[in-house]
Amino acid sequence: MVLLKNLRPPTEGVRHEQAETTAVMDGQMLGCGKLYVAETRLLWFDNSGMGFSLEYPTIGLHAISRDVSAYPQEHLYVMVNGKLGDENESDMAEKEAGDDDDSSSSSSSGGDDGEEGPITEIRFVPSDKTALELMFTAMCECQALHPDPEDDDSDNDFEGDEYDVEEADPEHGHADVPTFYTCDEGLSALTQEGQATLERLEGMLAQSVSQQYHMAGVRTEGSSAELEDGMEVDAAAMEAGQFEDADVEHW
Amino acid sequence: MESGGAGSLPSDTRPVEVFNSIRERTIAENSMVVLLQGLQGEVTTVDLRNESTARGRVVNVDAFMNIRLEEVVYRDWRGNDTQMQDLFITGRNVRYVHIPDHMDITKTIQSQLAKIHRVRNFASEGGGRKEFAKKTK
Repeated sequence: MVLLKNLRPPTEGVRHEQAETTAVMDGQMLGCGKLYVAETRLLWFDNSGMGFSLEYPTIGLHAISRDVSAYPQEHLYVMVNGKLGDENESDMAEKEAGDDDDSSSSSSSGGDDGEEGPITEIRFVPSDKTALELMFTAMCECQALHPDPEDDDSDNDFEGDEYDVEEADPEHGHADVPTFYTCDEGLSALTQEGQATLERLEGMLAQSVSQQYHMAGVRTEGSSAELEDGMEVDAAAMEAGQFEDADVEHW
Repeated sequence: MESGGAGSLPSDTRPVEVFNSIRERTIAENSMVVLLQGLQGEVTTVDLRNESTARGRVVNVDAFMNIRLEEVVYRDWRGNDTQMQDLFITGRNVRYVHIPDHMDITKTIQSQLAKIHRVRNFASEGGGRKEFAKKTK
């Protein structure tokens, strides 16, 4: 026996509504009502407000059946892991999350339910058969919003820079490759800016060896400003003698 | 089947491969789901954990192994066959996915990974909207 509860329509996140939809649960006709495919859960209730809701993590499968030899009406078939009716939906969802293998079959569908526990089969039969595809697609979308939490790896979030239209910057395309290059391979992987940076840094390294006696401050070739703000200086702007007019001369 | 964004698959158009989020791409890239994603367009059998099976053409497999099939013969755990036009299996309920014999598994994995990398490196390969590009120095 299925216990229906008094339900209200969801206020937001409704991807699809289908009126004049009959619900059949494990072969038992529940009457005609309205189906709501909402992002948080699936709801159905009849005209007096009595119905049931389904949590997406408990739904194992849904499909459009147009095979009238199997069932006389075209409908949306939904297979739910667990039993509705004389349990709270939240209890059932908890059991589901714990992957309970217990097959407590007070089952009206009869037969063996397999090792994963009891199963509820629900058919939603809309009077408008052309709506089946919309109902199906809405359920697919909502189902995808509820991936299996047990299955999560901690390393799922990619930490590089993928293409983002608001930050579109071709120069940063290489930043997301999480590899290190050895010297020889790396040279060919440098962007133009990267190459310029490399040349500048190598140049600075060479200078710092040959001009060790400069005090901190002004140099004729290169400038300390470069060191402070190394990322921004365009290598082409560096000219010898740009500080010739400086007063300080320490050699 | 798709999470994160609004990825919807209108069922009356040609199936489209959907990579909806960075997270999904990363999950796919780091697991064998990429192989399943390469099954798009193939007819195959999916065994569910409750002993039922579904045989049909793969429309889409997402990073969470949610599988969408079309033109399906669904055999329930009692052994009854039903034809279903469209069928969506929640990833958690999948036990096995049969790989068709004619498929080259290594090649499929490689080409799926290449697709992911093309998406990821879209900007560095010159794609994308230029009006938001940062000014060159």
